[in-house]
Amino acid sequence: MSDWEPKIVSFLCNWCSYGAADLAGVGRMQYPPNIRVVRIPCTGRMSPKFALAALREGADGVWVSG
Amino acid sequence: MDVYNSGLVQRKAIYVEYAQAVPLKYCIDPENCIYLTRGKCGNCAKVCPAGAIDYEQKEKELTLNVGSIVLAPGFKSFDPSKLDFYNYASHKNVVTALEFERILSASGPTMGHLARVSDKKEPKKIAWFQCVGSRDVNKCDNAYCSSVCCMYAIKEAAIAKEHAGNDLDCAIFYMDIRTHGKDFERYYDNAKDKGVRFVNSRIHSVLPVFGTDDLEVRYVDEAGKLITEVFDMIVLSTGFETPPEVVKLANDLDIDLTVGNFAKTSAFDPVATSREGIYICGSIAGPRDIPQSVVDSSAAASDAGEILSSARNSLTTVKEVVPETPVVGDPPKIGVFVCKCGINIAGVVDVEAVRDYAASLPYVEYVGDNLYSCSQDTQDAMADIIKSKNLNRVVVAACTPKTHEPLFQETLIGSGLNKYLFEMANIRNQDSWVHKNNPELATQKAMDLVRMAVSKVALMEPLEEAELEINQEALVIGGGIAGLTSSQSLAGQGYNVHLVEKSDVLGGQALNIYKTASGEYVQENLTALINKVESNEKIKVYLETEIVSTDGFVGNFRSILSTGGEEKNIEYGVSIVATGASALEPDEYNYKSDERVLTSLELDRRFINNDPELSKINSAAFIQCVGSREPDRPYCSRVCCTHSIENALELKKLNPEMNIYILYRDIRTFGEREYLYKQARQEGVIFIKYSVDNKPEVINRDGRLIINIVDHVLRLPVEIEVDLLTLATAILPPNNKKIAGFYKVPVNDDGMFVEKHAKLGPSEFATDGVFLCGLAHYPKPIEESVAQGKAAASRAITLLAKKKTNTIGTIAKIFSMNCSSCGVCISICPYSAPSYIEEGPFTGKAQINPVLCKGCGLCVASCRSGAINLKGFDNDQIFAQIYALKEAV
Repeated sequence: MSDWEPKIVSFLCNWCSYGAADLAGVGRMQYPPNIRVVRIPCTGRMSPKFALAALREGADGVWVSG
Repeated sequence: MDVYNSGLVQRKAIYVEYAQAVPLKYCIDPENCIYLTRGKCGNCAKVCPAGAIDYEQKEKELTLNVGSIVLAPGFKSFDPSKLDFYNYASHKNVVTALEFERILSASGPTMGHLARVSDKKEPKKIAWFQCVGSRDVNKCDNAYCSSVCCMYAIKEAAIAKEHAGNDLDCAIFYMDIRTHGKDFERYYDNAKDKGVRFVNSRIHSVLPVFGTDDLEVRYVDEAGKLITEVFDMIVLSTGFETPPEVVKLANDLDIDLTVGNFAKTSAFDPVATSREGIYICGSIAGPRDIPQSVVDSSAAASDAGEILSSARNSLTTVKEVVPETPVVGDPPKIGVFVCKCGINIAGVVDVEAVRDYAASLPYVEYVGDNLYSCSQDTQDAMADIIKSKNLNRVVVAACTPKTHEPLFQETLIGSGLNKYLFEMANIRNQDSWVHKNNPELATQKAMDLVRMAVSKVALMEPLEEAELEINQEALVIGGGIAGLTSSQSLAGQGYNVHLVEKSDVLGGQALNIYKTASGEYVQENLTALINKVESNEKIKVYLETEIVSTDGFVGNFRSILSTGGEEKNIEYGVSIVATGASALEPDEYNYKSDERVLTSLELDRRFINNDPELSKINSAAFIQCVGSREPDRPYCSRVCCTHSIENALELKKLNPEMNIYILYRDIRTFGEREYLYKQARQEGVIFIKYSVDNKPEVINRDGRLIINIVDHVLRLPVEIEVDLLTLATAILPPNNKKIAGFYKVPVNDDGMFVEKHAKLGPSEFATDGVFLCGLAHYPKPIEESVAQGKAAASRAITLLAKKKTNTIGTIAKIFSMNCSSCGVCISICPYSAPSYIEEGPFTGKAQINPVLCKGCGLCVASCRSGAINLKGFDNDQIFAQIYALKEAV
């Protein structure tokens, strides 16, 4: 097993998934720290350009949730 | 002992009540603190870095001068320890429903993992016993039904199956299943489909199985067979009780209680106690579920406010407005505040390192770290720093914007900065709390998040919020009990009301009803209410009037009314939908062919008219659930069981010798209506249970009206000859599509309006400024319609009383020059915010109404021409965050 870890950029809807990520913290659920969250007002705001930009900047995965 | 977790686990002597507690602060349990009980220890005061421990805090007595009082003291769950035959006190695997709630809860002692108490084994078979401490005068003194237990038992069984898989055997032992709430019958049907067993039997006792932790019960099933079953766990569906201290409070306040120790009220004034100025809500008014409690609480607020309306705003203080410092054109000067949140962040993330790192970022003028950024003294210090360092952008790296952004924005406003020149980095909820074992990477992540926030905030611009005047008039649609009450409450608090009624009289369905469940005459009370409304100069009544069209939005609605073809424009700030419902006209049980077959309302009409023929009847029957709880109408009409029993008792009053039969599926006399059911049985009314697949048959044999039914006790077909048959017909919503279209509010599969939130928002819609009450929401008795009429008015007044409302600043804006008039934004927007410009140089291009825009960004992402920007979440701002990730990823 290599110790390679993917780098993930996530775009989370302010009203659901971003709140859920906050609640995961309240519940002290543990997950790997290789994820960076960009808060967006709604996944309706998500543009393919954001995903492409994140990948171009070096992300291994993009996660959109909302 | 952890009270929140029903005593299933232990807690420390310093504790947070529960994870969602407000305020989320620790407190000391004085009964178990060694320092408070024995004067030793005192460790917490030594280690608390905030110096927040104060052993001297004591109960204080305060004297308040108030004009009205609302009592909401709640209930106590029945303690089944005294029912020794259930072995609750002596066996760990016999639990109450509240304890089982904690076992199922993700924040409970087993983190939602279904395990029984004694040995943590995953149960394979669980039984629920209904009516423990309810509908029982032998083993306890609670003759009433607790209303909510059937539904919560079904919910617990369904969730237990979700947690443990479908192999889990759930059996509910019941007397009558009472799923009379909105959408509850569907839930019951679904639970049956999922395999939850419903056994119509009251269990006598529970026996521990020797050598195991299992429990044995014996019962007689519906076929009369004696069955022995062994369960891993038993859940007692315990009922409501008014605790003794509340009874004492009621006595001290000199308010009358019912025999069940609930506050005595009138159906036409359901939240007012016997003493003027004292109102009630929640379970002191009788056993009730969450939506009904929420309705009551709004109603009580309305009543309490009505008598005080002349004093409104007399004790409020006006906030000082700090003028906004112009920042446009200035280079960003960013201040970064990194929060330790005690040890919540600092225990994992190296806060000093993050702070020092922030100082290296472009445009950052100031960095600092705080122990608790949200505390008042830190807020004041932050405001001073913003002013003294001339900062024009602020980043707070702390908890989460979901809870704390408004607080920090207030600090910005107080320092003269526009509140949108702000960004938070979430280094607690989404960092220190979730990467506890990885401090190094968590610190790295915190630095990345701060860098992203700094990049974004540098591009933030001050945003404006539009201020809107709220039109101070209200429209009430529907002149039944609910609409009349709403109008009366609104007018009572000083607002002008337009009351629109489709028919030529006020009163709605209540015009057809004889008495309420509590025995009050409806017509007298209704007439009094109508007179009050008609004589109130603030209420303008429009009879035989319909709404032709509606446009506008919260605070500024416009409608065209049509009265006999004559049209009139009205403008108003809020709308209350009270469009009611009607009784089903049945096409079964010989209703149309035999004049001895009536609907419930037709029987009421005869009572209202004092029909002398009624006392001459020798034999009468009622058939329940006519059109309700059927496959194509899967809801319970809530009022019919009580109403038929009430009418049966009225017939008995006229002629005590009359034979009366009630043919039912489940008797649903919830709350203290149960007394009527008991009284009817005592007076000899015969109740015969039937099932939906074996309905009674009504025939006309040589002019005699005959009912054939299989008796559930004898298990034999019986023939009943009657002189009068009353059908308890379903309550049907009218076609609500037109109104739904006017206000963009939803209608469910049954044709009833869908409220904002089934539990927490029963009297309002998701559309701002539109409210709901009465039968339009769901079938309900008069007292509940009155309460909801008041509740809808109360919710509407919270909006009207503001007089002005602010829109949000983070909304979309179209640059008309770039717009290609394709219309995608107009077709895609769920809020109808974009429209075509109708005049001027940009005619035909799109524009956004800032009042309707909710800032979701759907149009921005969909615009092919790139003509739309979303303020606060614009492309350059989001790209700045993404580019700032380069170093991280």
